[in-house]
Amino acid sequence: MSDLINILLVDDSADDVEFTLAALRETKLSNTVHVVSDGVEAMQYLRQEGQFASADRPSLVLLDLNMPRKDGREVLTEMKADPELRKIPVVILTTSQAEEDVVRSYDLHANCYISKPVGLNELSRVVRMIDEFWFGIVKLPPVR
Amino acid sequence: MTSVTKKKLSDEVARSNAALQQFATVAAHDLQEPLRSIAGFSDMLAKYQGENLDEKSVRCISKIASGIQRMQTLINDLLNYSRIQTKPHELIQIDSNKIIQSCLKSLNASISEAGAEVVFDTLPTVMADGPQLSQLFQNLIGNALKFSAEGRTPVVRISAKRLGLYWLFSVQDNGIGIAPEFVKRIFGVFQRLHSASAYPGTGIGLAICQRIVERHGGKIWAESDPGSGTTFNFTIPNSLEENRCLIS
Repeated sequence: MSDLINILLVDDSADDVEFTLAALRETKLSNTVHVVSDGVEAMQYLRQEGQFASADRPSLVLLDLNMPRKDGREVLTEMKADPELRKIPVVILTTSQAEEDVVRSYDLHANCYISKPVGLNELSRVVRMIDEFWFGIVKLPPVR
Repeated sequence: MTSVTKKKLSDEVARSNAALQQFATVAAHDLQEPLRSIAGFSDMLAKYQGENLDEKSVRCISKIASGIQRMQTLINDLLNYSRIQTKPHELIQIDSNKIIQSCLKSLNASISEAGAEVVFDTLPTVMADGPQLSQLFQNLIGNALKFSAEGRTPVVRISAKRLGLYWLFSVQDNGIGIAPEFVKRIFGVFQRLHSASAYPGTGIGLAICQRIVERHGGKIWAESDPGSGTTFNFTIPNSLEENRCLIS
């Protein structure tokens, strides 16, 4: 198992990506973060297709819900229908607080649902806790 | 009106309602996006430039932060308001006594802080959307506590009586009251009668109440004696059948 934690961040908002990356940089564990901006790219990345042929499989996916082309719900559906990809925990990280989005995400087997807070300090706290929980407490399956 | 014209009219109303809902929801969601950017970058500025910022700049950043906070609250309120119609639950038989009890539980902190007394009669079982009925009472009781008068123990009385096809609910307080020229206006979205420093809030609470009551096929109105208290009255139809008839 590699020491380097590989995270796939799927988000179409450039500003939000910048904030999440800034927050991830502050976490204790060393991590590599790959950023893709919609569901189509996310699936290509996960399936190591096209420009992502040599991509490492991520240990965790941070997935936004509302994105162009293919949204987070579709990515989640495809991931959880795939025997290999379904092992990768998916953290929904979205601006939506709508109850139907929460319910739908868990219906589609999201591993957890987080509403992105407004403001960098709050976001940093959330990202730190994601990091501590998923890479400090949780035992993950080995990455192939 | 013939039943065909009636049907046409109600279809049209439903369509324009749906369009409005969608507008409010999309507007609120899309408004969040730039707000998040402003908030994030203003935080970054404070974080990375913290040492170099002079007193004036620090003050500006804190003003930006409070503006963001206000905007966030307004957007959330707008979203909640638009969800009343877009995300309704089914109307079922609900014991309003239970609703009140759970409201009092969630308002417990404000009630004891105000040193208030909340009394209620035995209340009926009505056809309602539980979460919405609960929000309705919570907003009305919350307001009664918020607009309490100085120098007397706030007392909130909740009662109900049968009025033909309806149940008439009343939430009565002994607070500061509302001047007669304002009693109708208070149900407007973001309508406020006081400065935010005197009484916090965006002014969405009663607009939400009105929308909930209307969705149930009832009416809401206020009666007030400025200086000695306000009574909010609302009606809820007795049964589902009557409810349906009244809504359509």
